[in-house]
Amino acid sequence: MLIWVAALHCEASPVIDFYRLKKSHRDKAFDLYLGDDMACIVSGVGKLASAAASAWIAARYRDEASLAWINIGTAGAARHDIGAIFLIDKIVDAETAKSYFPAPTSTPLLPGSACLTLAQPSRAYREDCLFDMEACGFISSALRFSSAELIRCIKVVSDNRHAETGRNREQVSALIRHHIESIERQATDLLALDDEVAALEFPAESWQRLLAMAHFTQTQQNRLRVLWRYLCNRNLGPEALLQELSTRKTAASMIETLERISYSDSETL
Amino acid sequence: MASCIYLESQVRHHPLAQKILERLRRLPVIEIEHFGEVFNPRAQNFRLQKKKPAIIIASKTKGHVLAAPEGYGLGGDYNYYFSHMLNCLYDCRYCFLQGMYRSAHQVLFVNYEDFGEQIRQIAATHRQEPVWFFSGYDCDSLANEPLTRFTEYFIPLVASIENAWMELRTKSTQVRSMLSREPVARVVTAFSFSDRFSHDSLEHGVPSIAKRIDAMRRLIDAGWPVGLRFDPVVYHENYELGFSELLEQVFAEIDADRLHSVSLGSFRLTRDHFHRVSRLYPDEPLFAQNMRLDNGIVSYPPDRERQMIEFCEAQLMKYIPGHTYHPCEWHD
Ligand code: SF4
Repeated sequence: MLIWVAALHCEASPVIDFYRLKKSHRDKAFDLYLGDDMACIVSGVGKLASAAASAWIAARYRDEASLAWINIGTAGAARHDIGAIFLIDKIVDAETAKSYFPAPTSTPLLPGSACLTLAQPSRAYREDCLFDMEACGFISSALRFSSAELIRCIKVVSDNRHAETGRNREQVSALIRHHIESIERQATDLLALDDEVAALEFPAESWQRLLAMAHFTQTQQNRLRVLWRYLCNRNLGPEALLQELSTRKTAASMIETLERISYSDSETL
Repeated sequence: MASCIYLESQVRHHPLAQKILERLRRLPVIEIEHFGEVFNPRAQNFRLQKKKPAIIIASKTKGHVLAAPEGYGLGGDYNYYFSHMLNCLYDCRYCFLQGMYRSAHQVLFVNYEDFGEQIRQIAATHRQEPVWFFSGYDCDSLANEPLTRFTEYFIPLVASIENAWMELRTKSTQVRSMLSREPVARVVTAFSFSDRFSHDSLEHGVPSIAKRIDAMRRLIDAGWPVGLRFDPVVYHENYELGFSELLEQVFAEIDADRLHSVSLGSFRLTRDHFHRVSRLYPDEPLFAQNMRLDNGIVSYPPDRERQMIEFCEAQLMKYIPGHTYHPCEWHD
């Protein structure tokens, strides 16, 4: 599941349009747009809003095996052209000086930059980084639910020393829309990583059926989880395994059966 | 090739850092204050990072050289270890480095002079007694040699300290820099091997067995002391065939009488390491095998382990003189 977090509608709309996401009328706390394997939330301006929106949506999707995140938005820059796009590699909270690092899993295809998250809008441009008002709120929250490899932050420059387009909604959308193919590549890449993490989890439904077959103590459940995860990942098919276990009477004998299958399967490395 | 470089600001002008940056000039560089900012945070997925780890160029500030754990070594009385890197370029599933740290990024410490200073001091405290310094504990000693230039600094250092001995442990073929210098009798390069079945399934990114044997042979021919490590021996349905074939392959090229030392040990990990790594790779057959926990160590049940070691030792003794053999002792 991929979550897009944008401060403003005009920053979210290129993504919403591209993926044809549909507005959720059920959710009131934040504006939320939904697709099959993704959602886009509009947080409002500021790091607190971004952190709150990220935490809220993580709670909404707490049953997902894995969550991946992209913060999409605009930023100010001293020396970069309006419309330049960056994959943020370091996020610094201007108030606390704490740094966060989204973790790359391949050589980034977009130019990288640090981003300083400010509490207030500012024209004091710094040479060595972009600045925005959300990134650190977003990442500090997302890191509570996902690992740093599943979190990206993409910023398009909307303001610099010579021009300020940040207040013009249509222009902001156009700046982001211009890069939609690069943005899509980031999303595709991230979804693949997310699938990889999710695939290591076993199907919740089969796990519930397994637990219902006998009374397992907590220690037995821990052992069972390890065995079940392994066997499900080895394509041994939960249905066939459940069938095999249906003739066993006790939790211990079920674990013994799964151990036997697991030991025999793992003789071939 | 790494994904990017994290560079501690304090080592930006260090000559070795400069050389590494020059070699990796195509990679993006992200400045950091301390390597722990990137290396230590909780929310990291080692398995995902291992696909393409970053390089972290840093300075080690304390604990450069440490006393080796009990039972570690080749029979010497004074054993120490040090790591000029954290984590490894390769990806062996049985390695205790899998998940030892939260991050899979490779930390390259560049302040060799501080390591050197401690090595000198420790050697001096033992006066005329031989002191062993083991490199490659938290890394592979030579795998990153073109970047780290480890041998360029540490071999002359050890050569200059009369009672210092050093073991480099490697699965790489990066011996060119060693071949370009005079051999040092007190520097032993130990090559680790597993049979071809284990190699194919568990040693991701590790050079082929044949290439490593060739690297080993070239070092021996040049006069360098070389050791052989069959550790860990991993159980599988063909382990007897695999081990016998491996010995045949090695000793077809290597003169056993010219080996400094040979050691052998079966797969084992501390309980914490085993749990960490099996959580990282729940789909890995190695961790689904029949294992026992004994005294904090997860390993094969005693019967199986005895059987494996007895078989492997018997095979090994067909090739090597007994005095070079050092079994890996880890049971109490
Ligand atoms: S080469 Fe050695 S240090 Fe590197 S992953 Fe393999 S066992 Fe670990």
